Amino acid sequence: MASRTLALALAAVFAGSSALAQEALKAAYRADGLPLDPRADVWQEVPSMTVTLEGQTVTEPMVMEASITEVQVQALTDGRDIAFRLVWQDTTEDRFQVVGRFSDAVAVMVPYRPSDEVPITMGAPGDRVLILHWAAFRQENLDNGYADVTKLHPNAVYDWYPHAKKPYRYPEDWRNQYALAYIGGEKLFRKNTLNTPVREVVAEGFGTSTWKDVQRAEGKGVYADGSWQVVIRRRFVEENTSNPDWGPGKRTFFTVAVWDGSAGDRGGRKTLGYAWIPLEVEAAP
Amino acid sequence: MPTVYNWQIRRELDYPYEHERPKKQFAMVMDLNKCIACQTCTIACKTTWTPGRGQEYMLWNNVETKPYGFYPLGWDVKLLDLLGDSQKWVDATYEGPTLFDVAPEGDTLGKWMPDEYDWAFPNVGEDEVSEPVDVGTVMETLPHLAWMFYLPRICNHCTYPACVAACPRKAIYKRPEDGIVLIDPERCEGYQECVAACPYKKSIFNAVARISQKCIGCFPKVEAGYQPQCVTTCIGRIRLQGFISPPDQVRPDNPIDFLVHVKKVALPLYPQTGLEPNVYYIPPIHVPRSFLRQMFGPGVDHALRTYERMRRGEEPELQGLLHLFGSTERISHSFRVVDGEVIGFDEHGREIVRVPLVEPYQERPHEDPALEVVRQDIP
Ligand code: SF4
Ligand code: SF4
Repeated sequence: MASRTLALALAAVFAGSSALAQEALKAAYRADGLPLDPRADVWQEVPSMTVTLEGQTVTEPMVMEASITEVQVQALTDGRDIAFRLVWQDTTEDRFQVVGRFSDAVAVMVPYRPSDEVPITMGAPGDRVLILHWAAFRQENLDNGYADVTKLHPNAVYDWYPHAKKPYRYPEDWRNQYALAYIGGEKLFRKNTLNTPVREVVAEGFGTSTWKDVQRAEGKGVYADGSWQVVIRRRFVEENTSNPDWGPGKRTFFTVAVWDGSAGDRGGRKTLGYAWIPLEVEAAP
Repeated sequence: MPTVYNWQIRRELDYPYEHERPKKQFAMVMDLNKCIACQTCTIACKTTWTPGRGQEYMLWNNVETKPYGFYPLGWDVKLLDLLGDSQKWVDATYEGPTLFDVAPEGDTLGKWMPDEYDWAFPNVGEDEVSEPVDVGTVMETLPHLAWMFYLPRICNHCTYPACVAACPRKAIYKRPEDGIVLIDPERCEGYQECVAACPYKKSIFNAVARISQKCIGCFPKVEAGYQPQCVTTCIGRIRLQGFISPPDQVRPDNPIDFLVHVKKVALPLYPQTGLEPNVYYIPPIHVPRSFLRQMFGPGVDHALRTYERMRRGEEPELQGLLHLFGSTERISHSFRVVDGEVIGFDEHGREIVRVPLVEPYQERPHEDPALEVVRQDIP
């Protein structure tokens, strides 16, 4: 199949394309905190940049026709954290990841090495990227309770679950070690019950993305009037884990990907900005 | 893409990964003439592996009534649709498209995603829709005038799995030691590419755990030398699990090799997918050939001739081997039929079971003069 050669060719193209003069996104300094709520007034004063998205057509499975074509990005910093606000239009609100249905999501990707030579195809072996991935289905869990069977199918009848008591308070009951085993063990439990809608992932190329051991990024997504507004916030330097080389007064790069659940987007089926965008982080005055 | 060879369709195909055959390949043979749809296998599997939340409608082993039963709805019809009109065999070579040949632009292979409700009606009303017969009809010839049969299904632990090919996270792997295909629950992100890709629909999404899950070939049992739960609980004794060799390394005393390669009486299900599925079926003798050929390929005629020869007593070794089905929980790596017995041996050639081909029995006369009674048909 031609896709691998194509991938190499495209990677070369994209590495070159970022050399074009590209306007930088400025993360302005703000002393009194970075609001997690995307509707907070503060965000109205922050300049925003439009990032154009295209379907992922480098590796299979691809998106041949992008359903989301642009996203507005803003950024703020307080010297310790950085917060991105991402706003895009999506006529369908997809808050569940169930059988054959997928969740809306957005991610910001930052290279560990502050260079636009890092392959935009999620890095490369030895050339790591950080991905901060917000998903509507995780937001749904936090806002309205875990999307368990009884929530997904209120009229479902089932006689007995081993090692779980009535009423079955999942996910809490997963702490029971027997019940834990029934959903695939400790790590799955942890993945499903994060107290944040944002997961932190590192990757060194397509297909290699892996959850970080430390998951501290925060976020909040709100759907209103046909648009998602999402804030993703993370410390520049998290303790006891690896971090990109970024921070106040530094310049690095980022790009964005968006998933439209109704269009069947998930995993590699996404739309993304195919060029690194410079990110300038303002230092405290 | 690397090129691999699929012996079931006698041709090469492009597969996304380099392939080295596993040291051993998990395989199962099921004799469809004997399944009674008691669902003991289904329940054995369910209580062992899938009694949890989000698994309410998840059956790693299911038994459906053909031609009108499906789990999930229409899986085989959709598969045939996907492969299109040119599924052509020339002798034993498949010249039509495999799933890899019908990949749409931007994807690795032809897929379809079942709807949530497609999984929701296992075994509901499947028998009732079969053709009724007139009162007084006698069916003495094969194939039968009206027919149906039961099709038990598990994951085929394919040699070239569609699920492995489709997973963008490389979360699915085929074990080199026994060819069992597993999903790594920690790497799986629930993208369900495998669910859409597996033509047999044996990778199933768990909406509570948010990962896809599938038959694990009872690997803890297999590692210890025991056959899976669905095999050892089978009431109809229709199943035998073992390991299959590639055609150039056939060992005629390996039960699976004997059935599949030597006697060619057990056939893969929809081999035209190109995946080299490793569950092999002895086709039911009462079903029209055209339907069976569509399901099991052109080997059907030979398989049925051989099976009928066996029924006439002309295939003593085959007949003997069928007695090994359901006679031991252990995996038989080799077998021998001698002096009215079939003997199964383990990996090291040690005898694990010995089964008489004819159970010892006593014949008593119809009339008992002492008691002045006539015996009815009682043991
Ligand atoms: S039957 Fe389906 S799930 Fe099982 S190995 Fe083959 S492609 Fe994968
Ligand atoms: S236990 Fe055996 S006879 Fe019963 S349904 Fe399963 S395969 Fe058929």
